[in-house]
Amino acid sequence: MAAVDASSASAVLDAAPRARRAWARKLGLYIPAGLVGFVMVACFIGPLVLPIPAPVGGNVLDSGLPAFSPGHLLGTDPNGNDIFSRILHGGRASLIVTIAVNVLGLAVGGLLGALSAYIGGAVDTVIMRVLDVLIAFPSLVLTLAVAQSLGPSLTNTILALAFFSVPAVARVARAATLSLRELPFMTAAELAGTPWWRMLLRHIAPNIAPQLITFAMLGMGIVIVIEGALSFLGLGIPAPNPSWGNMISEGQASLSATPGLVIWPSLALFITVLAFNLLGEALRTQWSVR
Amino acid sequence: MRTKTQRIAVLLAALLGVAACSSTQSTSTGSSAAVESPVRGGEITVLEDAGFSGAWPTGLDPATNTTGGANLPQMSSIYGGLFALTANDDGSNAKVEPNQAESYELLDGGRTLKIKIREGIKFTDGTPFDAEAVKFNFERALKSTCSCAPRWPLVEKDPVTTEGTHTVVVKFAQPNAAVINSFPVSNVNWIASPTALQEMGEDKFRVTPVGAGPFKVVSNKMSSELVLERNPDYFKQGLPYLDKITFKAIGGDQAAFQALLAGQAHAYEGMSTVPLLEQAQNNDKLTVTLQPPTSPYVIQLNTKAPPFDNEKARQAIYYATNFDAIAKGLFKEAYPVSQSFTAPGGLFYQQTVPGYRTYDLEKAKQLVQEIGGLKVELGTLSAYVAKQVMTALQTQWKEAGIEVNITDHQLSTLVEQFNSGKWQAMLQTAGAWDPAAGVGVAFRFQSTSPFSGVKDPKVDELMTKAASTIDAAEREQIYTELGQYISDKAYAPFGLAFAPANVAVKGVYGPGLTTKIPPLVVNSAVLWDKVWRSQ
Amino acid sequence: MGQGLEESVTLAVERRNRNVMTSLLASPSLRLVGKRLLMAVPITIGVSILTFWVLNLIPGSAAQQLLGAEATPEQIRALEEQMGLNRPAYIRYLDWLGGAVQGDLGRSYVSGQPVADQLGERLVVSAELVGLALVCSLALAVPVALLAAYRPNRLFDRISMFVSVTGLSIANYVLALVLVLVFAVQLAMFPAIGYVPFAENPVENLRSMALPAAAIAFPLFCFYTRFLRGDLVDQMQGQDYIVTAQAKGIGPWQVLLRHAFRNSSFGLITVVGLNLSTLIGATVIIESIFAIPGLGQLMLQAINTRDVMVVQACVIVFAVVTVLANLVTDLLYAVLDPRIRYGSS
Repeated sequence: MAAVDASSASAVLDAAPRARRAWARKLGLYIPAGLVGFVMVACFIGPLVLPIPAPVGGNVLDSGLPAFSPGHLLGTDPNGNDIFSRILHGGRASLIVTIAVNVLGLAVGGLLGALSAYIGGAVDTVIMRVLDVLIAFPSLVLTLAVAQSLGPSLTNTILALAFFSVPAVARVARAATLSLRELPFMTAAELAGTPWWRMLLRHIAPNIAPQLITFAMLGMGIVIVIEGALSFLGLGIPAPNPSWGNMISEGQASLSATPGLVIWPSLALFITVLAFNLLGEALRTQWSVR
Repeated sequence: MRTKTQRIAVLLAALLGVAACSSTQSTSTGSSAAVESPVRGGEITVLEDAGFSGAWPTGLDPATNTTGGANLPQMSSIYGGLFALTANDDGSNAKVEPNQAESYELLDGGRTLKIKIREGIKFTDGTPFDAEAVKFNFERALKSTCSCAPRWPLVEKDPVTTEGTHTVVVKFAQPNAAVINSFPVSNVNWIASPTALQEMGEDKFRVTPVGAGPFKVVSNKMSSELVLERNPDYFKQGLPYLDKITFKAIGGDQAAFQALLAGQAHAYEGMSTVPLLEQAQNNDKLTVTLQPPTSPYVIQLNTKAPPFDNEKARQAIYYATNFDAIAKGLFKEAYPVSQSFTAPGGLFYQQTVPGYRTYDLEKAKQLVQEIGGLKVELGTLSAYVAKQVMTALQTQWKEAGIEVNITDHQLSTLVEQFNSGKWQAMLQTAGAWDPAAGVGVAFRFQSTSPFSGVKDPKVDELMTKAASTIDAAEREQIYTELGQYISDKAYAPFGLAFAPANVAVKGVYGPGLTTKIPPLVVNSAVLWDKVWRSQ
Repeated sequence: MGQGLEESVTLAVERRNRNVMTSLLASPSLRLVGKRLLMAVPITIGVSILTFWVLNLIPGSAAQQLLGAEATPEQIRALEEQMGLNRPAYIRYLDWLGGAVQGDLGRSYVSGQPVADQLGERLVVSAELVGLALVCSLALAVPVALLAAYRPNRLFDRISMFVSVTGLSIANYVLALVLVLVFAVQLAMFPAIGYVPFAENPVENLRSMALPAAAIAFPLFCFYTRFLRGDLVDQMQGQDYIVTAQAKGIGPWQVLLRHAFRNSSFGLITVVGLNLSTLIGATVIIESIFAIPGLGQLMLQAINTRDVMVVQACVIVFAVVTVLANLVTDLLYAVLDPRIRYGSS
């Protein structure tokens, strides 16, 4: 890979500081990975292990209890559901959505964009024009259409969000591949007769991965927030099941009176987005200095 | 955040000396009459919810405005109204009184309505407001596709005629007892200038209409902003007080609340978010007026299909439902629970129905076991408060062993559910100030209505009888009987009666805005010509 | 005499322009532009067909939406006939297309007003809102990202990351409400709602746009900063041409700006272009909170009332804007990367 040349030169020149940097880099990877891990464990395993009330089916007489009430660490929402429990369960739903959407986006979009740029010519033009139509198509129309004809559900939300993520990732992948294509090592590999799928896997993918991963990591948080906006419009995780997005969008209706309903899920979201971003950073640093 | 607001409020109060004490308006439920006397002049901005009265996409022509029932503020400011609902400041003694009409007579056992129009009223284009104009409007309005068009049982030949220059006669095929009570929410109440209509053409008229109300249109951005200025030739001497009103659409209670606090608006109609209402009530800058409720929640049960064709299943729902808890938990006991389709703010209120099946978890569980389990699809129209109530119901029914799946519907899917007959239980509201006004109770219970879950000739009979009985005492008796019958047959449990509140900044006063007027159907009709603002 | 001078100046300018024109026409960039503009037509038509089809899939018709929950089926049918909604879908589409091609965007089913009028006044408002947001976010994002990438993992970088992540984890409608609570209610520096046209009062116009634009711009700023910074750092640490430049003795800032930034701008431009049509989604909620009469609001209302004419017109506008944006993106690629300019396609 092109990146190799740069660092091997400096490696020879400077051994001890490099070891220190390697250690710092490892730490830089482990901490965010640990944080992401913590969030995952909290949301997926926590509810099974911790003695918390159910996220739905709360007693309406317990409506709107403040934080630190007995039995309710963060208080309750207007329907009497425990907020802490809803955050953990909601995190599960939100994370599933965001991971699914980003994986789908990366896989389908990344493949499409890279292929399109690599093959070039008519194929590239056609694919790009189709993607153009999809990108130019306003998300609002589709969202409302899905919401009002198919109804809100986890699957529909993932599909709707993926629909928008794929063209976006495809374009980024294409742009990255385009600038990669002109590099000498690519021409060399082509001349050597490497088949297209090998080019893709061994040469293109690893080089465009950093940019795509950064994009995807940024996307993680955004997808969760957009999922909440979808709840506004009738899509998203259907009530009464929680997701961070729909907790925030329901809570904003009485933001000044009950800020807790928005603050706690926003905080959880913040920690998660931070973790993913740091992780993305670390991964990229790890890969680019191989 | 709360303490800071309070500190600022205290500071303001200190700076203004004792001025804050001058208006002794209490900020909670009841509001006393304004101590100062009305001042002429000034302008206000009124916010309306973009999802309801803040949407007037089809324009402001009474015959083509399909959302007329929601656009009471705009329509009554521009057109005034033949009749208006007035009440004492505390909401009692509500009655529909002639406004642009001078008087009316119901003759022939309620089959003939004679309306005498006040002399000397002119539209803002100078043309006379006479019987011919009213007749013209009635005929147009009756043909309208708005759900606010009155469903008058008219005679075939010449149902609307004039007698002299200022009397209109309407002939019904059968007695129409609620005709006057329904006027203020029907488009026949708003009289447009026939001359202006013909000159401008319908398309332009719906954007800049011409009426004889307290204000006239300066500019109209549909479903966004309506700017009105005083009608100098308004028929009531000295009114309106205000020079200018601007109606603006806004997205939601929170945004409206903030706009009021920031001083960008002076009033907001129809706040329904309870925590915000509490916050507003505790805020010294605002006056909150809770309107007397007239439409209770009802859990419609589809008795035409399983599972609710089985009376035991319906009874189980009654026993499993605890609206008192909902009233306490979600609404902080601000609203009473009804057992029939009437509510404290409306006519013929019946507080308790003998034999009404109130909350009894054991009985509910027993019944569910007897029928071998119960699985219910419960739906409602997507709205903040309705969704919360529906979620609470789901929890309550689950305790009785009922499996509940809740869905909040958009309008189109709701209508589809009803039309296909596939629905099982729907949380809606029923009733009106006069149960026969507007779509009223018939909509939810009459066998001919596609939105009814009940197909019972006795119900039909009682409702028709009540709608055609003029004598109020007799009507009351019929409605009491109907409420009893519905309860006995366990057709539909009723819930709390909820009315959105009006919020105004201190210094703005008006009937219906800072005093109580029961909502005829959904929203209270503010009498805009009497709204004023202290300088 | 003055006239003579004027004439000769005009002639000279014309001559110069002609030379420029001939050289431009030969350039592949212009051919690119031409091709793209031609592409705009089928794309726009494609989008309009897709929209029409999707709208048809949504249950309910304009008539039903307008009449509300209390309308009887007969009333709905009567209104549908009145509006011409009972004709088959493809006929209605062709009807619309026929008019649109001639420049007549039709009349709104709902308000009866010509769509073009409604669209016009709303477009100006939304364009200003989105434009301000984009400009502000980019104007801040680029310098912040550059500064952060200059010394990665140091204090400034960490702080900017923290702020960016905060911005990305706040929903823009929550941010909007908080901004109003702080700046409009408590500090009374900006209005909480409303819009004043620029022509009427430029200062008030900017004041009324400040908070809504900020609510949209802040998450954008955070996204662009993160993205650009990440890319810059990637470039700086990885690429051998960077090492070469450093070895040649070019200062770090120069390297950053003239080399790394130039390459990173590809990604940034792509991302900005992609964002455009999704920005409309953001404006819908913001416009509703701030009572701004913009295009997002119009579109939401139109979809909810199934006012197909208005939705189609809005969608066309967005499609055209997106195509133009992508065109600009591609042109910028060509400008920034000579390899692409003179390479294939």
